[in-house]
Amino acid sequence: MIYSIALSALFAELTARLTSLNDQILAGMNGMAGRSWFFDSLVGLTQGNDLVKAGLIGCCFFAAWYSGKTLVDTRARRKVLLMTLVAAVCVLATTKVLSHTIFLPRPAIESQKIYHLSGDDLVAMKRTNVRVPLDEESQKDHRDLVNGDVKTNDLGSFPSDHAGFFLAISLGIFLASRRIGLVALGWTVFVILAGKMIQAEHSPLDIAAGAAVAITELSVLRFAAQSRLGAILDKLSLWSFKYSALSAALLFAVVFEISSTLFHIRALLALAAAARLHMMMGG
Amino acid sequence: MPMKKQISISNGVKCLAIALGALFLLTSCKVLGKEGLVLMTDDSYKATVFATNKIGFGAPDGILWNKGKLYLADEGGVALEAWDQDDGLKKLMDGQFGTKSPEDLVMDAQGNIFFSDDDAGGVWEVDATGKQRLLAGKDKGLFSTEGIALAPDGSILVGDADAHEVFRVTKDGAVSIFLGREFEISKPESMVFDDKGNLYIADNEKNVLYMLDTNHQLHVVIDRKDQFSPETIFYAKGALYITDSHASKLYLYTPNEELKTIAAFGGQLKNVQGVTVDERGDIYVSIQSDLKHNVGFIIKITKES
Repeated sequence: MIYSIALSALFAELTARLTSLNDQILAGMNGMAGRSWFFDSLVGLTQGNDLVKAGLIGCCFFAAWYSGKTLVDTRARRKVLLMTLVAAVCVLATTKVLSHTIFLPRPAIESQKIYHLSGDDLVAMKRTNVRVPLDEESQKDHRDLVNGDVKTNDLGSFPSDHAGFFLAISLGIFLASRRIGLVALGWTVFVILAGKMIQAEHSPLDIAAGAAVAITELSVLRFAAQSRLGAILDKLSLWSFKYSALSAALLFAVVFEISSTLFHIRALLALAAAARLHMMMGG
Repeated sequence: MPMKKQISISNGVKCLAIALGALFLLTSCKVLGKEGLVLMTDDSYKATVFATNKIGFGAPDGILWNKGKLYLADEGGVALEAWDQDDGLKKLMDGQFGTKSPEDLVMDAQGNIFFSDDDAGGVWEVDATGKQRLLAGKDKGLFSTEGIALAPDGSILVGDADAHEVFRVTKDGAVSIFLGREFEISKPESMVFDDKGNLYIADNEKNVLYMLDTNHQLHVVIDRKDQFSPETIFYAKGALYITDSHASKLYLYTPNEELKTIAAFGGQLKNVQGVTVDERGDIYVSIQSDLKHNVGFIIKITKES
């Protein structure tokens, strides 16, 4: 009994501290926004422009694929990178499922009046003070929000799929090649994810949870790669040498998709789902 | 070989530790995660829970406020119900009479209630004395009835999702086509007349809001492609209140003005269904959180004084 009370108190204390820390970091990061049009536009560019946002990560992936001083070394690196791709897809799927289960709106949305269900009552949530960046896209989004145009996606921002996806890829690159991986990790943390917090699109908590999903799934797959999955990856990496032209072409497609957070693949899957629904309805 | 095994065990322990750490983080965050949300995009409104399953309903679809009473087409509970402050919830008709999935409802000036049923089909009536009857059923071509409206001449207009038509049903049960297939309405999910005699029709398959004017001309009023799917429409004080179960939103539409979002719903509260407005202008929205397991809410949205 005493232990359970102590554990509950500890859990409550930890949660309160975590929330407070989350709010402080977010306030500090978002505090940089709304002061300079140039800075906000630059941050906006790293968020909205796929080439700037993820092009570098794609380049790092490409570089790591062809790095390695010997054939054996290159093959081992390719095996790690192939495992990373599997992990990245799993991470994206996990973060999407979680964000549809746990409803924590984006910090920018939390600046509005929100009620959450607590038992049988609706309780007003604490409104966050958010600075709106001065770039055109952010200003338009803010105007839309004030006019009541809320995207459903904005109501579930936990965990951050960007954090999960890009951290999984960057960590995978790091496991394949330390030097190239550090560049990818640095870009992911200091440009992509910092930008998300500056623009109040994600809180540190969203990002930490995305990172936790990425690290967990990458570790689990790395563990699995030592057994049956390893044999498949071995064959694939060997195949990439045997059919080098075709594998280079496929690698281009993969890197292209990494640079757009699998946007085109997701669009294709959505089209397939819509077509299935259409056919089921006899349309 | 033993070396390899040692490495595997060490990695396994690491994975377990990381997974446990991630689990703790996600669990703590789940505590913070809100299971149902209402986001007020109009600051002048506030939201409260008006009623839950505890008062006895299942998962209501259409709702109607009339003279201090809330009438519910309870799809999950397979019943037509009425609630008031003094008597609580009362069943007016249930599944024993043949209804399967009450959908939408209207009430005439005499206090007779008419409702549609998208599974059993037909137009059903519970009159002011409590007498129940099937006014017109599947035998008259009403297979999957959806939106229902009370015409100025006293007849009932009902939309049918299978026939893709709107029918006129007189009080003696005669059925005729009011809007045929040539009007290309796919699913007349909800219908309501305004004070000028125009009929608004919500088509939640084509995702369009139509208006049929008094000259029987059909106009597209709102067509926002994938961003708008009207579920229920209710007319009060010169404006249309619209729920959208796809976007999980409550809108206010005033003719010749932009569509305005009042609230967005998330989590357990995302499946918004019926909407009605009381004499004071308070808005009631029915939510089907889980139709299969009969979990529903009535959310009240009021102007803050």
